[in-house]
Amino acid sequence: MFAMAAMNGLVIGAIYALAALGVSLVVGIMNVINFAHGELYILAGYFSYLFAGVLGLNFVLAMILAVALVFLLGVLIEYLLIRPTYGNDMYSLILTFILSIVLQNAYLLIFGPYPNKPPNWVGGSTEFFGSFFYGNQRLAALIAGSAVIALVFLIVKKTWFGRIIRATSQDREMAELNGVNTTRLNMLSFGLGCALAAAAGVILSPIFPVTPTAGVPVALTAFVVVVLGGMGSLWGCVIGGLILGLVENLGAAFISTGYKHVFNFVILILVLLTRPAGLFGRREA
Amino acid sequence: MQERVQKDHVARRSSELGASSRENLRFVVTDRRFYSILFAAAGLLSLLPLGLGVYHLHVMIVSLFYVMMASSWNLLAGYTGQVSFAHAAFAGIGAYTSGILAVKFGVNPWLGVMLGTVLAGLFGLGMGVLCLRMGGIYLSLTTLGFSEILRIIITNEYEITRGTMGLQVPGLVAEYSKVAYFYIMLGGTMVTLMVLYKLIYSNIGLNFRAVQNDERAAASLGVDVVRMRVLAFTVSSALAGMAGALFGHYLLLITPEIPSLSQQFLILSMTVIGGMGSFLGPIVGAFSLEIFAEYIRAYGEYHVLVFGLVALVVARLAPKGLMGIAEPYLQDRFKPARTAAAASG
Repeated sequence: MFAMAAMNGLVIGAIYALAALGVSLVVGIMNVINFAHGELYILAGYFSYLFAGVLGLNFVLAMILAVALVFLLGVLIEYLLIRPTYGNDMYSLILTFILSIVLQNAYLLIFGPYPNKPPNWVGGSTEFFGSFFYGNQRLAALIAGSAVIALVFLIVKKTWFGRIIRATSQDREMAELNGVNTTRLNMLSFGLGCALAAAAGVILSPIFPVTPTAGVPVALTAFVVVVLGGMGSLWGCVIGGLILGLVENLGAAFISTGYKHVFNFVILILVLLTRPAGLFGRREA
Repeated sequence: MQERVQKDHVARRSSELGASSRENLRFVVTDRRFYSILFAAAGLLSLLPLGLGVYHLHVMIVSLFYVMMASSWNLLAGYTGQVSFAHAAFAGIGAYTSGILAVKFGVNPWLGVMLGTVLAGLFGLGMGVLCLRMGGIYLSLTTLGFSEILRIIITNEYEITRGTMGLQVPGLVAEYSKVAYFYIMLGGTMVTLMVLYKLIYSNIGLNFRAVQNDERAAASLGVDVVRMRVLAFTVSSALAGMAGALFGHYLLLITPEIPSLSQQFLILSMTVIGGMGSFLGPIVGAFSLEIFAEYIRAYGEYHVLVFGLVALVVARLAPKGLMGIAEPYLQDRFKPARTAAAASG
């Protein structure tokens, strides 16, 4: 029971970390929280369901297409809605919150309230330590999630683009003075943040089918992870995601399933009270 | 001579600074004007039950609930810049407090409404204190988290709240009648608007706006920023609690729909569409959107989607909402009682 719950926690934790990385990237660079993050996650799930399940494309191709489309949508959202609100955090909060409800209702209209699910990548299950069987699909999700996280780290830590991202999130004006086109960077990083939500969506949707409102708990957890790890900190996202995934699943297994998501918010409020900058946050977050 | 120079100067300045001079020349609100308009409007509204059928009366009652909710949310978001996503949750606290007290302990619903108001205010106080050190993003996240926790608790504590089935509660009046509830909600709305007026059009209100515009500058001028923000949170939560409790006793069935995020969304879009940071905005927004929602309901459940799209367009293109669009026209109609020139000269 414990090993099973811990394993589940690990898988979910990796996906939370992935979703949170997208939020963290955008917060770090633009100081904007995208409340529609969860809806973009769901959108990617729907796309991969459409491409792989309905049109019968190869699942890898379907996933890549889904992520690419959500990336473009993210760029469009930044251009149309977020860019005019620079310097006014309040309006970006309000706009993305409205956007999330609009998207939820649009999904409800188009796909109906029923759960939809793209086909599994792999079948069967693997036995662990002779004590329990674990679905191969979940293991594949864990591996894929970790791979994408590693890719993000590689991009941010090792590439020229990553250097620009780090410079801008440290000091926007200084980066501008050194010739960074921050407007275009905002657009790209917002798109990238959405694409990370989409990556989490395509990886998790074969396990947890998508419904119009299924993105809400994922997005909320991603926000908690970001606050827990410290706004803008990448390692914080990974550690925070794993912590929350484990707490949620162990709590569900040993305390109460209904209160699964409450644990997260209790953590959120405790962190904000005791250490508002988060585990790995910079001061003045 | 000097006076004339000054007048010229003011005139030139006001033509140069289109927007900001309009701010100065705004229709000046005095106590007498406010109360006479409020009571005249209420008097006109109170004639409605004579002409309206049961269904239309229901629409008016729901609209009044939203007027209370949107106006009190506006105090937080529009006047102090704290975008709270827990406003519907506070209405839920009011509704469930009053409902549970009435069902489990047989407390008189009127007393229950008052206790619900007080409890929502206390929670608001706690929330305000908790969010003090936080900037905009953190505050929104925390209130969102609080709202979700509350919804989960209500759904799970089935024995007490009846979960998603809803809690059946007694009415406020012995004999159920829409007309009676219409007057009760009208009364509640007037109380809400008077409390908000007292706060907004006083020194406290000036402080609110100062805090919103520039927190540091306000603090440097001796505004107690902390107290202002907590005060706004407490008052607006208490008002939401009252609205929720009254509405719960009108519906006779309290469900987790009252403290839900979709309810919060409706309140938010009404305020944004009507005009955030304007006294009339949320009132206009609540009435027009609720009535509009009833019209599109005939074509199916599209109203949330339509509201969302309208709210997106308004928030993006006309951040001051309908009131911001109407302002230049209103200026011509109502000649200001006292211009900035007269005030300063």
